[in-house]
Amino acid sequence: MVMKRALAILTLLIIGYWMASALANVPFGADKMLVAQYYLNHVKAQTGAVNAVTAVVVNYRGFDTLGEVTVLFIASTGVAALLWRKKRERTAETEGSIVLTTGARLLFAFIVLFGAYIFIHGHLTPGGGFPGGATIATAFLMLYLAFSAYEIPHRSFEVTEGLAGMGYVAVGLIGLAIGSYFLFDWIWQTWGWGHSNIGRLFSAGFIPVIYTIIGIKVGTELSGIVDSMVKEGGE
Amino acid sequence: MSQYASLLIALPLISAFFVPIIKAIGKKVVMPFLVLITAIQMGMATWVFNEVYTTGKPIIIMAGGFRPPVGINLYIGHFAALFVLIIAVASFFMAIFSMKAITVEPKDKYAMLSLLLMLGATGMISTGDIFNLFVFMEITAISAYALTAYNKSGEASEAAMKYIVLGGIGSSFFLVGIALIYGSLGTLNMAQIAQLAGQMNPTVAQAALAMLVFGLGVEAELFPLNAWAPDAYQAAPHPVTAMFSAFVVKAGLYALARILYLTHAVGSWGHILRLLIILGTLTVVIGEFSALRQTNVKRMFAYSSISQVGFIAVGFALGTQAGVSASIFHMVNHAIVKALMFMAVGYVALELGGVTLEDFKGLGKVMPLTAFAITVGAISIIGIPLFNVFWSKIQLILAAMKAGKSGVIALILGASLVEAVYYIRLIHLMWFEEGSRERTRIKENFVFGTIMLLLVALIIIIGVAPNMTWNIVQKASADIYNVAQYIKNVPLLPGVSP
Repeated sequence: MVMKRALAILTLLIIGYWMASALANVPFGADKMLVAQYYLNHVKAQTGAVNAVTAVVVNYRGFDTLGEVTVLFIASTGVAALLWRKKRERTAETEGSIVLTTGARLLFAFIVLFGAYIFIHGHLTPGGGFPGGATIATAFLMLYLAFSAYEIPHRSFEVTEGLAGMGYVAVGLIGLAIGSYFLFDWIWQTWGWGHSNIGRLFSAGFIPVIYTIIGIKVGTELSGIVDSMVKEGGE
Repeated sequence: MSQYASLLIALPLISAFFVPIIKAIGKKVVMPFLVLITAIQMGMATWVFNEVYTTGKPIIIMAGGFRPPVGINLYIGHFAALFVLIIAVASFFMAIFSMKAITVEPKDKYAMLSLLLMLGATGMISTGDIFNLFVFMEITAISAYALTAYNKSGEASEAAMKYIVLGGIGSSFFLVGIALIYGSLGTLNMAQIAQLAGQMNPTVAQAALAMLVFGLGVEAELFPLNAWAPDAYQAAPHPVTAMFSAFVVKAGLYALARILYLTHAVGSWGHILRLLIILGTLTVVIGEFSALRQTNVKRMFAYSSISQVGFIAVGFALGTQAGVSASIFHMVNHAIVKALMFMAVGYVALELGGVTLEDFKGLGKVMPLTAFAITVGAISIIGIPLFNVFWSKIQLILAAMKAGKSGVIALILGASLVEAVYYIRLIHLMWFEEGSRERTRIKENFVFGTIMLLLVALIIIIGVAPNMTWNIVQKASADIYNVAQYIKNVPLLPGVSP
């Protein structure tokens, strides 16, 4: 046992030293801005987004974002598949305290509004579809905590989630049809909408469209995961 | 026109998102929908294959219309075109098989996950951006975790848990590797990484590549990261096992080979090859000897599959074009044979309720067609002439000889001997022994029989006349080996370079 542990520690030290010597040779923080510099120079003209990070996420590396959306979709599908039972119901015994129930009723709409604000303004301020959607899901989580009988409308959430995902791919396919590239920003580059509007809400091409879709998708998806995990199956 | 090849990614994705809506229309439509989509995918993949092989030029898809390295590009060259087709065909066959083999609810989730598994593998093989490769690897891996646990038995949950833990560690390794590369080169585009690879500090390159090899080793089922594989293969639904063996592991192997050859200019490349050859050899040896001891036939095939993967890794690690060609040939052959064998064994499990050696006694009388399919597959895997795997094993041996690695030759011959022992034992059991239980002959499903016979025919056609496939394979291997051409094919944006 002691031998084994000593061996493990020794291996760790060797690997750690090796990694540290590699990391010491990486010029982190130095001016290695190859692609990044290009983004900073061209972001406004090419995408119309004031928030360069958003432009990278949705425009330049939009393909990755589509993939990330898919990863989350798989996670929620997987959870739903594994926790599937013929009949599932909530088993919470006590209602939330008066503070929680009143607070939940009062705050629900505001939290959803704030989540929507985050994803609609993704091209202007930090944030975007993922944090916005997560905020919306917390509103539903709060309802689950406060009310012992509360359930999200399961069916319609699932359908909304599917429709939002299809919407994202459809936006990409419209780009393919109009601009002949998949995920091409046809609103900004072909139609040229919002060019005089940079820095305001109606600008940045399809970024707000995609972020709204992602926001809705992530919101319904995370709420669905909460629902799957809270409920317990009866045989 | 060629940008329409992006439908290879868009179609499975939009279809997977469409499944919840299909389910709301009618539950019975879900599985036929899965078959339909994989059939369309197969059609598109055939078109892309034809396009790439007649023009001889890769299809470069630029997402968003941004030129690489600013945007993400897909690179569907000779290799990707071939394997995207194999993925689509295997998925189509397994979608048909799933219609009967999947009995556990919720089937709509199964349909979504298997579409996304196909999508992930397709993306891994066709991407030209290393971070995008990571994203597609996650898509493949996470759908694979969920599909492994799909049967919801204790066994399945345990297997999936092992897979998640190892897969998670692998993904983190891979991400650290990417970070090291991006930190020292400032780009994520694979062509540009290849262009700049020589500038990397050898220590950093060695660490980054080792991280990437270990990260991909989980998906590529290399020892010591393949502990999840036998359990997952055994516990996963039968069509899923076939898909794992036919293309999921291949996507990992491809990514490994691609990254390895792209960075051949780094100073410490030889060390990485040596690491891979050791990992591959251990994978073969441990896989074969574990297969020998199994009494569950599905698990035995899983170990056999793992050791074949070891051969492929060793071939890539030779560092020569002959080695790459041989490995790709083996990948193609292995995909055909293992799709056949896992489908057959799954079908046996479906009809007889078990796949222990006991169940296989006298199978030749109960399910003659299935037993015949397994026999052909087994004979092929051992490496008997006139069957497809014989040729790829010969090519591997020739490549090892040219590279002066006599150890590899001994490994292949020795492993084939062990394979002969357990496969001939199985064949003997099926045809020449009587089952203890009284069993009547089962009427075998016509559609499954046709699929199995098609695969058997492929095995024999490639076995008798390997030249056509060999030509295709050589083009695919040039796609991986000839890095200068790869860099030239990607229209890198001028001005974005150091």
